[in-house]
Amino acid sequence: MKNAKNGILEIGKATPRADARGKVTGAEKYAADYYGDQLLWAGVKRAGIPHARIKGMELEGARNHPGVLAVLTCRDVRGSNRQGVIRQDQPVLVDDKVRHCGDAVALVVAEDRPALAKALDLIAVEYEPLPGVFDMETALKPGAVLVHEDNAEGNVLLKGELKTGRGEAALTECDVEVTAFFEVPRQEHAYLETEGGVALLREDGTLEIVVSTQTPFRDRAEVAKALGLDLEKIRILAPYCGGAFGGKDGITVQTLLGLAALHCPGRPIKMQWRREESFLAGVKRHHGRLHYRLGAKADGTLHALDAEIYYDTGPYDHLGGAVLALGLEHAGGPYRIPHTRLRGWSVYTNNPLGGAFRGFGVPQVAAAMEQMMDMAAARLGVSPLEMRLKNAVRRGDKNPVGVTLTSSTGVHECLALLAGQELWQERETWKAAARSFRLRGVGLACVMHGMGYGPLVPDCGNAKIEITEQGVFRIFSGVVDMGQGNAATYLQIAGSILNQDGDHLELVQPDTGKALPSGSASASRTTYTFGNALIGAALALKERIVRRAAALVENSGGGEDFTMAPGALVHRPTGQLIPLPQVARILDEAERISVFTFQAPVAAERPTADQNLQLHGIPHRIFSYGAHLACVEIDELTGKVEVKHYCAVSDCGSIINPQIVEQQIQGGIAQGLGYALSEDFIVENGRMATPDLSAYIIPTAMDIPDLGTFAVELPEETGPFGLKGAGEISMDGPLPALANAVADACGVRLFRYPLTAERVLQALAEKRGEGTGP
Amino acid sequence: MSHVFLPPDLDRLWNILEENPGALLYAGGTDLLVRLRQNPLKPPSLVCLERIEELHGVRERGEEVFIGACATHTGLLADAIIRDNFPVLVKGLACLGSPPIRNMGTIGGNICTASPAGDALPPLYTLDAGLEIRSRNSSRRMALTDFILGPGKTSLQQGEILAGVWLNRHPPFAIHHFEKVGQRNALAISLVSLAALLTVSAPGIIERVRLAWGSVAPTVATSAAVEAMLTGRPLSRETMDSAIPLIGDAISPISDTRATARYRRTVAGNLLLRLIEVDRRCK
Ligand SMILES: Cc1cc2nc3c(=O)[nH]c(=O)nc-3n(C[C@H](O)[C@H](O)[C@H](O)COP(=O)(O)OP(=O)(O)OC[C@H]3O[C@@H](n4cnc5c(N)ncnc54)[C@H](O)[C@@H]3O)c2cc1C
Repeated sequence: MKNAKNGILEIGKATPRADARGKVTGAEKYAADYYGDQLLWAGVKRAGIPHARIKGMELEGARNHPGVLAVLTCRDVRGSNRQGVIRQDQPVLVDDKVRHCGDAVALVVAEDRPALAKALDLIAVEYEPLPGVFDMETALKPGAVLVHEDNAEGNVLLKGELKTGRGEAALTECDVEVTAFFEVPRQEHAYLETEGGVALLREDGTLEIVVSTQTPFRDRAEVAKALGLDLEKIRILAPYCGGAFGGKDGITVQTLLGLAALHCPGRPIKMQWRREESFLAGVKRHHGRLHYRLGAKADGTLHALDAEIYYDTGPYDHLGGAVLALGLEHAGGPYRIPHTRLRGWSVYTNNPLGGAFRGFGVPQVAAAMEQMMDMAAARLGVSPLEMRLKNAVRRGDKNPVGVTLTSSTGVHECLALLAGQELWQERETWKAAARSFRLRGVGLACVMHGMGYGPLVPDCGNAKIEITEQGVFRIFSGVVDMGQGNAATYLQIAGSILNQDGDHLELVQPDTGKALPSGSASASRTTYTFGNALIGAALALKERIVRRAAALVENSGGGEDFTMAPGALVHRPTGQLIPLPQVARILDEAERISVFTFQAPVAAERPTADQNLQLHGIPHRIFSYGAHLACVEIDELTGKVEVKHYCAVSDCGSIINPQIVEQQIQGGIAQGLGYALSEDFIVENGRMATPDLSAYIIPTAMDIPDLGTFAVELPEETGPFGLKGAGEISMDGPLPALANAVADACGVRLFRYPLTAERVLQALAEKRGEGTGP
Repeated sequence: MSHVFLPPDLDRLWNILEENPGALLYAGGTDLLVRLRQNPLKPPSLVCLERIEELHGVRERGEEVFIGACATHTGLLADAIIRDNFPVLVKGLACLGSPPIRNMGTIGGNICTASPAGDALPPLYTLDAGLEIRSRNSSRRMALTDFILGPGKTSLQQGEILAGVWLNRHPPFAIHHFEKVGQRNALAISLVSLAALLTVSAPGIIERVRLAWGSVAPTVATSAAVEAMLTGRPLSRETMDSAIPLIGDAISPISDTRATARYRRTVAGNLLLRLIEVDRRCK
């Protein structure tokens, strides 16, 4: 037997994640790595036009092309032909009209990829172009072109208003008031693994889909409804995703693959979007327009906030309503503001589809609110740090939507730790050391991020763990690991409770045929919710095993005398070892499995009576917090912003595996730096102008400085081993931290993002008074 | 049916080119294969130059240096002759693409692609590069500036290849400078770039200067007027300020999603100001 102490997965110990080796050696299979015997290929004819009615489709050429098995349109869909999480407004294949360039109009299945490409090319669609609506202001005007004629609210998908105290009227009571308008760009997920999967309709009528998804259980229901199938006949398998970030929170290829499989039974069918198709048809972070008015008293106390936010959801809901709701709830940041009026609109347009993206509506409002804080601080003559320390919420305070913070609230602790950093303490010396033609600045941002689904949609995890006859503990993960490391953490949780090493633990990736429904990999809830369920399941199994083992040892003295060890139980009084397979064999099949349900607690208060807003997630009960610091250097000759140093302090509760949390925080910062500096999914009249990775600029390793990450580790009482969500919070900070740093360096603030060199150079020139050089 | 040919020597290459008139040449393929991706329906036949020994390596010939067209950027960055004699080229290549792109991409490919954003080009313009063009029956030399006709256009004829680049071994300049402005620090297409060779006398007078800008005109831009204006004057802010307005005549930048023409124009001038700094660092 191995040295018991070493390999045991312990809580709090930095451990290389269990999936690392398999991934770097290529052994781990992503959905993109699944093929199958006699594989067929499926592909989609995309509209390529932002708004149009289909007058006719010429399909014969494609149908007659050698190697083509099926050419399908909406007529071949027997179900609702609609998909969507809250509002089902997106067709699988276009029926009434095309609403954006990425809409799917026909589906082709062929023997190989060349035949598929040729057949797609042979499909000719005759369109009657319709005038499009490409900006939110136009979309909201009376008489605007309608994206959905049947929508009672015109081009408004969701609108909401939250009010506390005297609302905007209290602005008149303020000593200082700052006003600004911000515009934030669309952001593309740009995951390594584009959308894809493999489907097979088996002889017994089961439709099996292996797919890169964050939501296997919800996918099953959506596929069933859209295609008119029995839910029980659908099985979704969700391997590790090669990145998802929200872009796979919902249907991508599932319904299309299902439809293809129904028409070509018995043969596996693969679909893998090319990068260009992923850009065209995949969802984006919502483009946002935000109007803010923030008022404070002369002593620096925040008094009133009026915020008006607009998110462009493109032609379909996807999760656009929920994204707006989370934005609204976070619009005031982690501060005490007694009087607020927060209004938001999620707007339909013929632009690319908006959807879930790490941060889920919060990065946009954090960008605005955190700059308002700096602007107010400047007006009051206090430092950005003092301004935040003075107003940051503490446990027991009400947040800007009027909900009492009853859980761990560590924003002060984050700020205090940040304030002690050398980067902050020595900032003036550092700034003064800039070379010629260089300007340096330092900026802060404070962020909060709600966890889970809100008050109405039950946020449940159903864990299932089994001891095999070989004495190995098998965890049936109910929540996808899209790269964030939750699967490894599940192993660590079970390993620590059962005192096992990696050799005696195994994880089965989410499979609707084996695991129990446990919700989406999203909303910073994967480890919180499923982890809590897993603790329950593992403890129950442990108790059962120990009790049964006691029966195997004479005069054992009962379960208390046993300790678990890797692969065995130890009877402490005698030192006798009972191998786990021996115990497993005396358990019957049902006893070897333990399941446990956990449902996340919800806030007691309701800041709004609007049931629809509650359904869309308002309010949350548990929040993570963070404080970010960016040190930038600007080249006066080119306008280029270089991030020299970056540091983030996070309150994500206690930490199970410091390595994984650090990776999450750093990854979110890197993605946030891209959002702040270079990522801009440009759309002109509904068509993308940045159609691939050579035009859409994500940061490289050369653009990201060393990232200092710190945690305050305040335990969250309801969390598994005290943790709270860590997946999204760090995405919220970089844009405002950088924008504040750039404003500090330049002495002028930019209100449109990303902070490209050109925009910065322009701002410097305007400040100087056009014409004169640097 | 499309084929990929991998001729081991020039003789075999000429045969293949004659037998497959529509075939496309490539070396590293980092430009060509990306272009082919646009039209996957009609793949042409391809002829890879990579295995032809004569097209590789860096050789000294008297007062000249020959660089084989298939020399990779990584190979050139590590080459002692290149490092000692042509720091401006080293600086240009060092910011081309990323390590994998530099491992595959070649100097010949960068030249034949004839992009105004090609990062080897401004350095080669300032170094007065000559090119060796070969076909089955001939070998001719021509100036790089005559070879490149416009974006993606060269004077290469059917049946010809670029065999290599000739450079003067001792370019008479003390300061080699290259700066690229891109949208990020690696894997970036240049928005504006500037290659500069300078010799500055002890009292700080510019004795000789060559300048070439990338990405601000259909081909790499040079300006005799700016060079004349700088020559014989002190390397100072005032001198540069007086030269900057002259650049406008030499360039004709475009606007695209990456940057506006106006930005490119401003930065093309601003980059001259960096030379004041460069000088201080070199001393
Ligand atoms: C991700 C990425 C990033 C890049 N970044 C940069 C960058 O930062 N800066 C930059 O300048 N370039 C960049 N490039 C472009 C490219 O890598 C370079 O231009 C490279 O030098 C091309 O060399 P190659 O051998 O790969 O060319 P190939 O693709 O093999 O050939 C390019 C063209 O030249 C022709 N050709 C090649 N060799 C010969 C020859 N000997 N005789 C006749 N014709 C020939 C080919 O027919 C083809 O038309 C990038 C490319 C990619 C894919």
